[in-house]
Amino acid sequence: MTALLEVDGLSVTFPATAGDFRPVRDVSFSVDRGETLCIVGESGCGKSLTALALMGLLPKWARRDARRLELQGRDLVGLTERQLADIRGRRMSMVFQEPMTSLNPAYTVGEQLSETYRRHYLSRRGVARDRAIYLLETVGITAAASRLRQYPHQLSGGLRQRVMIAMALICEPNLIIADEPTTALDVTIQAQILHLLSALQKRFGMGMVLITHDLGIVARVATRVAVMYAGQIVETGTVDEVFANPLHPYTQALLRCIPVPGRVKRGEHLGSIPGAVPTLMGDLGGCHFRNRCAYAHAACAPDPILMNEVTPGRGYRCVVPAAICAARGHGAAA
Amino acid sequence: MPAYAAKRFAVALLVLFVVSVLTFTFTNVAVDPAIAIAGEGATDAQIERLRREYGFDRPLYVQYGEWLSGTLAGDFGTSIRQRRPVLTMLAEKFPVTATVGGLALILAFVVAVPLGMVAALRPNSWIDRFALGFAVVGMAMPTFWFGLVLIIVFGVTLHWLPVSGTGTAAHFVMPSIALSYYSIPIIMRLTRAGMIDVMASDYIRTARAKGLLPRTVLFKHALRNAVIPVVAVAAVQFGHLLAGSVVVESVFALHGIGYMAWEALHAADLPVIQAVVVVLAGFYILLVFLSDLLNAFLDPRIRIA
Repeated sequence: MTALLEVDGLSVTFPATAGDFRPVRDVSFSVDRGETLCIVGESGCGKSLTALALMGLLPKWARRDARRLELQGRDLVGLTERQLADIRGRRMSMVFQEPMTSLNPAYTVGEQLSETYRRHYLSRRGVARDRAIYLLETVGITAAASRLRQYPHQLSGGLRQRVMIAMALICEPNLIIADEPTTALDVTIQAQILHLLSALQKRFGMGMVLITHDLGIVARVATRVAVMYAGQIVETGTVDEVFANPLHPYTQALLRCIPVPGRVKRGEHLGSIPGAVPTLMGDLGGCHFRNRCAYAHAACAPDPILMNEVTPGRGYRCVVPAAICAARGHGAAA
Repeated sequence: MPAYAAKRFAVALLVLFVVSVLTFTFTNVAVDPAIAIAGEGATDAQIERLRREYGFDRPLYVQYGEWLSGTLAGDFGTSIRQRRPVLTMLAEKFPVTATVGGLALILAFVVAVPLGMVAALRPNSWIDRFALGFAVVGMAMPTFWFGLVLIIVFGVTLHWLPVSGTGTAAHFVMPSIALSYYSIPIIMRLTRAGMIDVMASDYIRTARAKGLLPRTVLFKHALRNAVIPVVAVAAVQFGHLLAGSVVVESVFALHGIGYMAWEALHAADLPVIQAVVVVLAGFYILLVFLSDLLNAFLDPRIRIA
């Protein structure tokens, strides 16, 4: 059985006269039905652009390259805008980070929901309207029928994000991509939205790509994790593998930054990673993390570091053998 | 929405009232109507007799009240110079000005909005540069001069269009073009700026992510939001068109409101001046009111009064 989504060697390049800006470099992963892949990384590591590249929503001047990009075995690389539009919203859909600005202020919630359904299923208005009410109820909005007549500015951020989720699910896509869906929301609402997303993902049997910088979210909802750093995936594995036995020095350093109740003492400093992320211009040569890595040595440059596959689906991008990495990571395991 | 409309309408009426007070006061302070009626060579005694006869010796607010009640009943008084009801004169001239102004506004929109949209979708392309050049020329060129150029090219040299008068539909072509070119740059640049803003917005990305067709994204989701600022200035633009109409009417010898106002000013014809100012102001206020309503229709966030 082929995976729901297969990504192999995905890169995003913004050509510029001063040198190409390459925020996403040779990213590969796959997502199965009913599985949640969390792509985790700090701001600017290329995780959002990866998501937009999957949807074909990159800015016009950006270049997307991939050895393979397949949804349900169908190649997404050579598609025309029209063919891609047929897939978007129906086979794969996306929830964005900014619920406050992601809905069109000029149309009612009902119109924006049902137009998506009508676009893909050519159904009558009444059918699409019933479908919209059903989806609003599904995402936990009460008095759904009366909400249809409301405009986005009349809803709170949490409600708007629920509407966005309803909109993404209205055609029952196979894949949902959620780009930091809770970042802009109140902490109390964050948990609700997250819970909702993962419940719906199970209920509809979808594959989900959840993009976040929050390791707490990863621990709660992910099946598998891909850790991104400076445009590359540096470590992949199941959530248990990555949290219990982090292999890449970046993942280890990242896990040391989270406070763990009972282990971090009051007043104790949390871990931090010294140095800064490299600028993603041109070819960086060697390991992207080497300028901040505590274990960096001569072998980390100049050749590109490849992904070491420990077992299928479990890999890390470092020259050091897995056993040594695992021993170093022992103190970082959450 | 009805509450919003009612509120805007009340404001419109208030503005119109203030305009009428100011117009009536200023014109009466600037010109002594008795002297204007008596004409040149009249004696002081004759002027004094006229002043009493017409009631100009009464306090201004009493005269205003009388004028207002007359105006509300549709009676704008009688022209001092032509000895005809002002209302009749307005009825003759207004259609000419409204035709030129209306045609110019429609033409401006038909040219400027698509041009602005195309320029926005292909920024820095040749068509964007062409549109910018077209706008700069329009901004820089005085209306009367452009009118004269049109006359020389299409009237005198090519003989395609009549040069002056209001006889046929063809007579309105050049004046409308001359007048519209004044409004095209601002409408076009606003459409372009609005469109560029909107196309980069999150909700357009959402619309594309839903799989909507490019034309739906453009015309349903983008254009509606992009024209909101354009609609707001359209009414103001029409005000400028009415003002520009005075110039265009004299270049093309059209006998419209502008020409009538110019004549009345020279003759100190008070009732006509007052009527023209109040009618034009009323028309302008009406348009602003309508554009407010249209904007409220386009943008639900405005509807909260």
